[in-house]
Amino acid sequence: MGRTTTTALEKLAAQMRTDWDRRVGHDYRFWMGEGHLDDAQIWKTGEQDLATVVEGMQGTSSCTALEIGCGVGRLLKSASSRFAKVIGFDVSRLAVDKARQLLGPNPSIELVVGSGVSLDPVESSSVDFVWSFGALASMPVPVIASYLAEIKRVLRASGSARLQVYLGQELLVHESDTLHLRSFTRENFAKAVALAGLKVTRCDEQTIADDGTADLGIVNCLISIAQTDEPASNVEAVAQALLPAGESTEVNPAALEAWMALNYAEMLADEGNANKARQAVEYVFTHCQSATVDTKDLLERVLAKSDAIEKKETRETSASDDERIFLRNVEVLKERFPVVYERVLATKDAISRDISVKHSKDGPTLWSGSTCLDHAEKPQAAAEAWVRRSLQESRFAGAKHILIVGFGGGYHVEAALKQTITPVSCAEADVALFTAALKARDLRDALTRVQSLLVGDEVSHASLGGNAELLIRPQVAVLDSRFIERAKSSTYSKRGLSQLHPKIAVLGPLQGGTLPIAQYTTAALQRIGQRVRGIDVSGFNDGYMLFEKFLVGEPRRLLMRSQYCEVISNTILEALAEKPVDILICMAQAPITAKALTELRNRGVVTVLWFVEDYLRFTYWRHMAKYYDFVFTIQKGECLEQIRAAGAGEVHYLPTACDPMFHQPLKLSGDEKARWGSPISFVGAGYHNRQQMFASMAQYPFRIWGSEWPTGRPFDRLVQDDSRRVSPEEYIKVFNATDINLNLHSSSERDGVDPSGDFINPRTFELAGCGAFQLCDERSLLPELFEVGKEIITFSNMSELRQKIDHYRTHPEERSAVCEAARARVIKEHTYEHRLEQMLSTIYASKYEMLRQREQSSPWAEMIRRADGDTELKERCERAYARGEEPALDGLIADIVTGQGKLSETEQKLLFMHHVRSQIIRMTREESGLKK
Amino acid sequence: MKKRYPHKTRVLLVNITRLGDMLQATPTIAGIKMENPDCHITVLVEKQFAEVCKVIPNIDEIVGIDLNFVVRSISREKDGIIDAYEYMTEMVESLRGKKFDYCLNMSSSGYTALLLNLIGIKRNGGWTSDEEGYRVIESDWARLFATSVFHQNRQYNSLNLVDVFRASADVDIHPRNLLINVEQPSLDHCETLIHEAQFTNTGPLIAIQAGASQGKRQWNPKQFVTLITNLIEKHNARVVLTGAAKEKPIIDPIVEGCASRNVVSVAGKTSVPQLAAMLKMSDVLVTGDTGPMHISVAVGTPVVSMFLASAYGFETGPYSEGNLVLQPVIGCGPCNPNKPCSKPDCHDTISPELVAHLAISRAKGDVFEVASHLADPRGVVVYRSTFDEFGFIDLVPINGQPQDPCARHRVAYRKLWLEDLGGFPVQYTPKTSGLAVVDHGLEGLSQIGECAIHGQKLMDTLVQLVKDNRTTSGQLKSSNEEIAELDRRIEELGFNYGHFGALTRMFIFAKENLQGSDAVDLASQMKSIYCDLERRCQKFAVFYAGA
Repeated sequence: MGRTTTTALEKLAAQMRTDWDRRVGHDYRFWMGEGHLDDAQIWKTGEQDLATVVEGMQGTSSCTALEIGCGVGRLLKSASSRFAKVIGFDVSRLAVDKARQLLGPNPSIELVVGSGVSLDPVESSSVDFVWSFGALASMPVPVIASYLAEIKRVLRASGSARLQVYLGQELLVHESDTLHLRSFTRENFAKAVALAGLKVTRCDEQTIADDGTADLGIVNCLISIAQTDEPASNVEAVAQALLPAGESTEVNPAALEAWMALNYAEMLADEGNANKARQAVEYVFTHCQSATVDTKDLLERVLAKSDAIEKKETRETSASDDERIFLRNVEVLKERFPVVYERVLATKDAISRDISVKHSKDGPTLWSGSTCLDHAEKPQAAAEAWVRRSLQESRFAGAKHILIVGFGGGYHVEAALKQTITPVSCAEADVALFTAALKARDLRDALTRVQSLLVGDEVSHASLGGNAELLIRPQVAVLDSRFIERAKSSTYSKRGLSQLHPKIAVLGPLQGGTLPIAQYTTAALQRIGQRVRGIDVSGFNDGYMLFEKFLVGEPRRLLMRSQYCEVISNTILEALAEKPVDILICMAQAPITAKALTELRNRGVVTVLWFVEDYLRFTYWRHMAKYYDFVFTIQKGECLEQIRAAGAGEVHYLPTACDPMFHQPLKLSGDEKARWGSPISFVGAGYHNRQQMFASMAQYPFRIWGSEWPTGRPFDRLVQDDSRRVSPEEYIKVFNATDINLNLHSSSERDGVDPSGDFINPRTFELAGCGAFQLCDERSLLPELFEVGKEIITFSNMSELRQKIDHYRTHPEERSAVCEAARARVIKEHTYEHRLEQMLSTIYASKYEMLRQREQSSPWAEMIRRADGDTELKERCERAYARGEEPALDGLIADIVTGQGKLSETEQKLLFMHHVRSQIIRMTREESGLKK
Repeated sequence: MKKRYPHKTRVLLVNITRLGDMLQATPTIAGIKMENPDCHITVLVEKQFAEVCKVIPNIDEIVGIDLNFVVRSISREKDGIIDAYEYMTEMVESLRGKKFDYCLNMSSSGYTALLLNLIGIKRNGGWTSDEEGYRVIESDWARLFATSVFHQNRQYNSLNLVDVFRASADVDIHPRNLLINVEQPSLDHCETLIHEAQFTNTGPLIAIQAGASQGKRQWNPKQFVTLITNLIEKHNARVVLTGAAKEKPIIDPIVEGCASRNVVSVAGKTSVPQLAAMLKMSDVLVTGDTGPMHISVAVGTPVVSMFLASAYGFETGPYSEGNLVLQPVIGCGPCNPNKPCSKPDCHDTISPELVAHLAISRAKGDVFEVASHLADPRGVVVYRSTFDEFGFIDLVPINGQPQDPCARHRVAYRKLWLEDLGGFPVQYTPKTSGLAVVDHGLEGLSQIGECAIHGQKLMDTLVQLVKDNRTTSGQLKSSNEEIAELDRRIEELGFNYGHFGALTRMFIFAKENLQGSDAVDLASQMKSIYCDLERRCQKFAVFYAGA
């Protein structure tokens, strides 16, 4: 026997997967359910067989058990009531999917699509009992050897295994055969078990009447196996011991499969189930073309019976061709994708629109209006060429799953299934189009083999396991670009969060209320593990304000301020050239020019504006929106439309939030409470509506904090600290020390509460985060963020405000209940972490591929690739990268601290490099200085 | 002489960057070979010096490390860092494979210390680092090296760094000069150069190295013109100006200023071996503290050397018998090597006439005396180099007794270190003894000594506390704070009384190099360090009194 390399082993496993997926796709009950015609019998025989496997075993209720080759879970259902936990392994994805469907939710059953050669990810020494029944005997010998080694690994020291195999005469089977029974001599089997570091403790012979094994000189045995202290030899040695002569090169693997399928077909035909009989025959035609003439008679018999039934059916139903094709297709659909089946049936007669089917020499093609969804003349060849070309893209190299967006006539789905062993799924938005395809072509093979099928408007990423690479049909981009957006969003947004590591810069404004939001944004990005760099330009504000002192005329001030901002913008541009970023998030009022944004976009930077201002009051977005790939706003409706119309790439709603690390309940001293507290407070600037409303509140114990308030009566007694701007650190003390915080959104035009007010100011979330009680004016967007009446109390006019103040002043327990509920809500849904995750999900939905390519070609990626042979260096590179360091030596050594324990060799080498550089630079400087 | 590691078989000498340093190491290299004839010596040098190092005798293997490649790669950033890292990995593996049993690193740079820790050589005589990345100096002599070059202490040191380096490597038997190989082709090349010069004078061949490594050490070219004119016109001399091509901007104007057929520049026309040949053919070299000075000494040609600005003759003076060293007497000298000087007054203390006189005299033979009217010892001291009874080079003034306030301390320190570190039987005639001496030069010594005694008591207390299982962490913390405060006091005394900076610096280095983690063992090591300090204070007082 030749040495079985890892690659050879993987090939065998791939063969097993292909074969068993095919068989399960055809008929799981026949191939994996012991030939039974309904599911009840599967469980019944499963229970009987499990009883044989565990016979004599006691005290298993707290044990973990594992089955190798669990198929559709025939024995697992019964096993789950005997063991605390059962793990079912099968190489066939379709079998495991089916098992999930059949077994339903069961916390004590874990199903794993195995690699076919190992029991990863099961931890070593974690399993009490391993069994395999009706599975090992048809596996290639190297695979059996590999599983023996894995049993040794996963079993606890006290663990045991029972394996059903055939012993006696050696039966030689072709290595790629996954159906014929293999048999080994008793001595060789015991020797192989011993080489795997295990020992045979018992051998129970199973007598099954008329199973034919006796004629072959083999016995069906259930072998009991225990752990030993001996280490396992390598897999090649175990395989060699098991079958020293190696496997046969002669037996035709397809013969048995064809023979079994045709027998099954004959049985079905005899039962009058022509459809299933035909499927079995077609299965043989499609998959067992290399079957020998042994099956010829049988085939002819089945075809004759099947034809007879079909003629009868045709006479009876007089159905048209396309109806017949449709019925065949939906039968598979019903079996595999019942949700899609229901959806198709519900709309099957409602096909109208301009969908048509035309015929080419390759087969029927599907048309939507004037757009052909396949190639008009050579749909099959064109689909194959397109798939081949597409799969050459690097992103498909390691893909675990491919999602084809757009079903069309199904040609490209068939081509993909033919060209790759990667699981293929398909999404089609238009049920009518899909139904037309089901009528036009026999798609049973494709429907049998696709992993998932999503038909209809929803594209659920979760149902695809979250790891699909999209293969988008160009026609879909024309017909339904929104569907592609949704497909990308559901596929890439979450994956982007976990797999992409772009460097993100947050650019704040020079001053104002958005400045702290920039800081919260930066902090939140850090907390969600992003590589972030805050660009704080607030230091430039002093200079900006100086123009007011030096220049009287507004035009001159404006001109100089504009030039000053140009300098700041250029400085930012240079800073981002020195330390490049992938995404730039500009907060509202960030001092960056159109020229700088254009330059950054040319450099491949994704530009984002978080416009946390009222779009009607601050209108500079009109000429700036087009320089941003994404604009996020705190308003909906018209706002989104107008900013979109102004040329922004994408526009989305994203309200502000609170920073739970900052906006939180504080323990204040008595002095602090006296300094900052009051029965009623308001923090904010003195906008028109606030002045107008609060002027009538002088009779209340009321304090106002913030700038731009009048100095005259009654405000002279209400406004604190000479109407200076209070810092965030100060105003959270006010929030915490106040019984009732008023929150009146600003308006420069309306009196009191603005009846058309929509957006929610940051103060709303911040007060809630602090666990402080607030009375907030009614806003149209508030109810979707807080439950009004429970989590937040609102007012719509002055009299309601007075009434609620009076009520809540005397009901502190009600205030507490609201505060608690509001705080719980913001912690759950309205933190900056939530917002930034949302923002990044949106960005990744459409920029995932671009950002990933950028990441893969980044200097860090190259460094990490180069460091691959040195584990510690690689990890250090990855850590530095995750911290957001630049790809330079300083970034790599930033977290090395001398005197904090033993330095590793890698650390010493890097420090060496650092010292060399410092010393040589220093020497060069000194020498050039002293030469003079 | 007291030795830590007398026997060596495979030695690594780290002397990365300068030819001058390598030449100064030649007595040590030769000494190791003399004491361990079968020893294999490898030197690790910067790659560009590797070729030059071939002229150094007694080296079995030269390993060049390409630091420029490392720096270039790091500067490239990105995958350049991986290039540098891979280069370093290969270099470390290659050096580890050579299985050195002893290493001598006299470069105080952080990177050589880390490199040696990576190579993992157990026994060493110079700088290395511990596993946490701190630099370690195990040998007392190497600590003295570090102490002596500490700027505050330089003027109190009279031990040449060649000898301190040698003693760090436990080398006792050694040649009394530097060493370099001169090959016949180089001599032939220089013969041709001299022939081509077509000198008309027939007197001594005097080499002059006018260039210097730092601007402030560069004697004014006009002074050189005056000197050369004097030599040519008054003493029939033939003058050869040596130097590298990059020094031509200094040398060419001198040649032009002299306007004589008897002066020729060979700047840029000689490789290092050819320069050595040229100096060998010369009768004397006039120079500053330069690499050619060391080459001249190595080929046996006497030098007249001017130690200007930061240069200090005792520290790096010519290492052979009978050279002349001119050291300006000036309040600011020797100045800090790392600071520039815009007004180098020290240059004016040396006249071209004096240098001409000394050069011609030395070309004729050994010089033991210079008339003070030629060289006023208040402005410049002329020293003659000579070896003491223990084989350590020294400088003896030959133009009268200098009014040097540091001279007595230098003598006392020299005796202290030779006796205390080297175990040499130093002779002295005590005039008075003990710490009770009342002398301005001893001011501060008794305070340091008292601190040392107090330190020993604190260590005894600390040991008791550590051994007593009833001791609280608060007590231990308090004890440690008291010790830290005392050490700070000792360091401050060293700064306040600069003439005892060397004593306290040696103490600090010793404390920085404590090894191990067992509290009682550490306390014992620390007590020994306080004992050393107390003993050295007492000995210093005795030697100072006898100086």
